[in-house]
Amino acid sequence: MFAVILLPQFRLQAALRLRAELCAQPVAIVDERSDKGVVLEGNEVAESSGVTTGMPSAQALARCENLTLLPRAIGQERVAQAALLEVACSLSPEVEATADGCCTIDLRMAKISDWPAWGAAVVERFAALELRARIGVGSNADLAFLAARRAAPVLVVQTPTVFLSQLAVTEIDPPPHLLALLRDWGVHTLGQLTSLPRGELASRLGPDADRLWKRAMGRTHRLLRLVRPVEEFVETFEFEQEIETTEPIFFILRRFLDQLARRLTGVHRVAAAMRLTLLLENRTTHERLFTIPAPTVDAEVLFRILRTHLDGLQLKQRPTGVWLQVDPARPDHQQLRLFESPLRDANRFGETLARLIALVGHGNVGVAEIADTHQPDRVRLAEPKFHELRAAAHTDAEENLAIGLPLRRYRPPLAAQVQVERHEPAYVVSDTAHGRVAGALGPYRISGGWWDRERWGTEEWDVEIAGNGLFRLSRQNEQWFIEGCYDAQLR
Amino acid sequence: MIALRELLAQKFPLHEHLSSGTLPTGLDAFDQTEGGLRRGALTELAGSPGAGALFIEALLALLPREKCFAALVDGGRSFDAESGPPEALRRLLWVLCGTADLAVKAADLLLRDGNLPLIVVDLQPLPARELQRIPASTWHRFQRLVEESSTAFIVLTPRPMVEAAAVRIAIQNVWTLPAMCERRRTLLHRLRAQVFSRRNFAAVETLERRFA
Repeated sequence: MFAVILLPQFRLQAALRLRAELCAQPVAIVDERSDKGVVLEGNEVAESSGVTTGMPSAQALARCENLTLLPRAIGQERVAQAALLEVACSLSPEVEATADGCCTIDLRMAKISDWPAWGAAVVERFAALELRARIGVGSNADLAFLAARRAAPVLVVQTPTVFLSQLAVTEIDPPPHLLALLRDWGVHTLGQLTSLPRGELASRLGPDADRLWKRAMGRTHRLLRLVRPVEEFVETFEFEQEIETTEPIFFILRRFLDQLARRLTGVHRVAAAMRLTLLLENRTTHERLFTIPAPTVDAEVLFRILRTHLDGLQLKQRPTGVWLQVDPARPDHQQLRLFESPLRDANRFGETLARLIALVGHGNVGVAEIADTHQPDRVRLAEPKFHELRAAAHTDAEENLAIGLPLRRYRPPLAAQVQVERHEPAYVVSDTAHGRVAGALGPYRISGGWWDRERWGTEEWDVEIAGNGLFRLSRQNEQWFIEGCYDAQLR
Repeated sequence: MIALRELLAQKFPLHEHLSSGTLPTGLDAFDQTEGGLRRGALTELAGSPGAGALFIEALLALLPREKCFAALVDGGRSFDAESGPPEALRRLLWVLCGTADLAVKAADLLLRDGNLPLIVVDLQPLPARELQRIPASTWHRFQRLVEESSTAFIVLTPRPMVEAAAVRIAIQNVWTLPAMCERRRTLLHRLRAQVFSRRNFAAVETLERRFA
């Protein structure tokens, strides 16, 4: 059997998918490229007011003054088409993208006994994605397509001849000259057409008429142009006007994530990363990539990650649209121990990390990575990846080798005046420590980068300043600094 | 797995508290009396910057050994990463703040997160005037947050000031230059620590008067 999934009024459905508030009002999609703004599709409310396809928008407005005219939402049409193919590809590997909002599925290898129930389940899946679908099932692709056009919402053709005999000839799109001729003969239904002898019809009207007769009998067999499933999980929305607050963005993002989570669940994938793009009024964009620490399809978790970022975001331009892409990944099947894991909730930790970055600034939170140089305090903070860290065999060797008190650095180092006697610091004057040097260890001379412009050199001393404590002094280009404190006496 | 763990935690709330226990620090006086850092409790370490830095080092050494993670809220932006063992640094979330206000907010976020079993807030390098502006209610709120988790929460201060602390460690060492030639582990053993828990807080008040 073949099945055809048809999304009726595809362009209108795509445009209204994220704007449920408009569904009860008369709405029509207009072709902006045409001079008169021709109506492409209108919803039932608009059609009941006399708005029809092909009507100029001015005439449509004259017939229905409350009519809302919308341009085609190309981005959302792509999203709806991608969702259609995702669902179809999850039903069978042999899928044809027949047209926008229509796909044909070869189900000859499927063992389905209850076709109406199967069709109803597929319709429900589309309903969860806020798309209205019709399913037609038949013994060949063309028959299934005809069934889908008449489905409400599922139609399974068990006896093709009975089903086809009631259809109008126009349903199978005959060439115009044949249609006119058949009308003249009084042939209006496919049943009337198939009652004519095939050989004589072909000899009088040519091969086009023979093909039409075969279609009317439901005997055509064509090869499907198969498509490969493209795992592209994108949702996009353009606002009618610039956005002043974050609330509309939150609302749309929440709906995006609900939809994307359902689509991911449908293909047994989880979100490993999210790319958020805000389209701004000056036609630039704000982009941000979010890596999900523990890939998930939980829309609430994903939304919290986006919300944390947007809460602290300040833009100079107002957003006019949102674009969200989710990178799918296979669910992690790693067996964890019941009460032990690297982090209890890696996603929550990621969210906390984002909040900390918003609080103290980027570059002030992370895991310390020491640069491969002897230059002091060359440390950069990298994103922590605790959930990926594997426990290594622990050795006490490095701990045993550590000598002296750990340093507490002053960032930046404090300028000081140092009196030198016999090549050693003898007296220190600074805002932090002031006094005679009771003892000094040094000098420890370190240098590097002599082979390029980043040349550096410093001379370090560990000194005890009487009545103050233990400090580290450094001399660079004859300028003295207090680098940090080992211990200071409390005052 | 997360959902299962949460479900188990809801069904058997006592399990975590019973198994929380303590974390040994390597500070003899403290480990012998208290058994180590108490999880689910606020511990205050009051002492000089040198003692605080040594204690942080001891806690860092704990991370690879216990295979756990920690956060250091660096109030004075003074932590020297080069002093710490690289193996431990990979397990440490370092938050550079610069003011007491930021440090308190960062600590609040980390406590509410509940993922890290050890959180250290270092306020020792900050000016006393700034520390005095932290309301006492903040520490009580932190203590309540910690009680509900299995996190060991340590605040390093120059003087005793955290009234809500369940355990207070007061260190009174004064280091001189020869200490710079001794092994760090030896220095840690030489720390003279007085430990006060909620059971003998009258002694803590005496200590506060002495510091004042």
